[in-house]
Amino acid sequence: MNKQRFVRQSFLGPDADERIAQCTVGVAGLGGGGSHVIQQLAHIGFQHYVLFDGDIVEESNLNRLIGAKTFDAPAETSKLHIAKTVIYGLQPDAKVRSFAGRWQDRPEMFRECQIVLGCVDGYQGRSELEVACRRYMMHYIDIGMDVHGEKAPVIGGQVILSSPGNICMRCMGFLTDAKLKEEGEKYGKAGSRPQVVWPNGVLASVAVGLAVDLVTGWTKRSSKFAYLVFDGNENTLKESLTLRNIQIECCPHFPEADLGDPVPIVF
Amino acid sequence: MTLIKLTGSLHGQMLEDLARRHSFAGERVGFVLGRYGSLENSGTLVLLHRYYPIPDDQYIEDRAVGARIGRDAITWGMQAAYSGRQTREGVFHVHLHAHKGRTGMSSVDRRDTPEVVRGFHAVGREAAHGILILSLDHASGWVWLPGRDEVSASSVCVIGHPIRIFEKGAGQ
Amino acid sequence: MTAYPLEQIEELKRYCDKVSGLAEGAATYLLLEQLRLPNGCEPGCCDALLRPFTGGDGYPSQLYFSVQVKSVFARNWNVSNARICERNWFAFSWRVTLSTPTLKDILIGHLTGFTR
Repeated sequence: MNKQRFVRQSFLGPDADERIAQCTVGVAGLGGGGSHVIQQLAHIGFQHYVLFDGDIVEESNLNRLIGAKTFDAPAETSKLHIAKTVIYGLQPDAKVRSFAGRWQDRPEMFRECQIVLGCVDGYQGRSELEVACRRYMMHYIDIGMDVHGEKAPVIGGQVILSSPGNICMRCMGFLTDAKLKEEGEKYGKAGSRPQVVWPNGVLASVAVGLAVDLVTGWTKRSSKFAYLVFDGNENTLKESLTLRNIQIECCPHFPEADLGDPVPIVF
Repeated sequence: MTLIKLTGSLHGQMLEDLARRHSFAGERVGFVLGRYGSLENSGTLVLLHRYYPIPDDQYIEDRAVGARIGRDAITWGMQAAYSGRQTREGVFHVHLHAHKGRTGMSSVDRRDTPEVVRGFHAVGREAAHGILILSLDHASGWVWLPGRDEVSASSVCVIGHPIRIFEKGAGQ
Repeated sequence: MTAYPLEQIEELKRYCDKVSGLAEGAATYLLLEQLRLPNGCEPGCCDALLRPFTGGDGYPSQLYFSVQVKSVFARNWNVSNARICERNWFAFSWRVTLSTPTLKDILIGHLTGFTR
């Protein structure tokens, strides 16, 4: 690799490029948010990837899927292929392991990662990713956006960092039983959700920034967690109000016993 | 592939404790407990999660070695291996080589560790037991799975902020 | 791990090959290996996970199956590939409301969903 490639990011630290290249990063979901994430990770120099997405490109994706071209929709190109093309185009020596399906069907693949970025739909999917990351010790970075309301649309979104040994998405007030229950009741009735490219870009950029800081420590801030809320109408990204009065030191939702493969205790 | 992971806070806790001077032992030792995780292609993931320093009064003075621990400390380790048998929780012996750079097993480690691990496997059959050796800026680990020879961990990953990935050197 | 009454665990053993506890997030589920399903079900047996406590879905209990079971009565399989204790599970919408049920009562209550 030409050493000039990363000369502009030397402020990340003298061994930052080596640390970035060493790290294995997992990405679940290669759609609107995930495709932005992949592009940025590849530019920065990540070399080891574990990717999951079973979808193909559809016409309605082309308003936001980074790397996709017009012909990809009629060609039914997989989103995985789009992601790999972006990665190999910038990092020809990258090691990309991938599965064209749900990560839950090949969960062992994620466990070698140090960081997992969740770019999935739904609270249940996010919850499952976080559980896996806590069991197998990975930093989990979650991104998501949504558009609410038809007459006066509001764009919202979040970037969350949930790290082993620190408070989780439940502690931070993002995941709640009420949200999971409501989502469960709507099963099968979700339909197509409004999605546009620029909020995904904002959220993905912040998520990648968190990932780079986790790997290089360049900001010298030891962030144990993060929950940033995006207001796409006001164009702001602020710390969630739910963190203001948070008093939790030790996460009660992931006991130490929940590490590693679950072992059935036979009665 | 065999990987070892631990959190940044556990890594820091061990470094801080093991760096303390002992009144006569050249180095300090401890035990750290690890849970088992399966990887693809029958790989092994060890998730270290709780550290127990050996109390000062459980060292035996022996100038021939860096540290020698007494019966009480060994009994503690055996008890931990026994208690962890149902959950496949293993015991790892840990100490610090107070230099920078890659670490390796000393001749004493090579001689003594297999016997210690055999003892752990006698009471905690299903777990992975082993040894973790830290340096000031690196870490190496060796894992014994039930019925198998030692395997040198491909990497020891500190999942902290920042992440540290200590890869096995050539010849390890 | 939650301590379930041993005599109630023993009752469950009559319906499957093995009963184990699986812990996740401070809760203990009961893994019922090769649970024998009512007549008319396909497959005739499969692994099941009993949740004898209220979960995030608001149901007082839930019985998850390792596969989506075909039965005489069509059911709304609203839980598909839920990930619990590192396995994927399926469940149909079926609320069991009993006062002070035993574990066996809860299990039978859920299995009744295949027969009515």
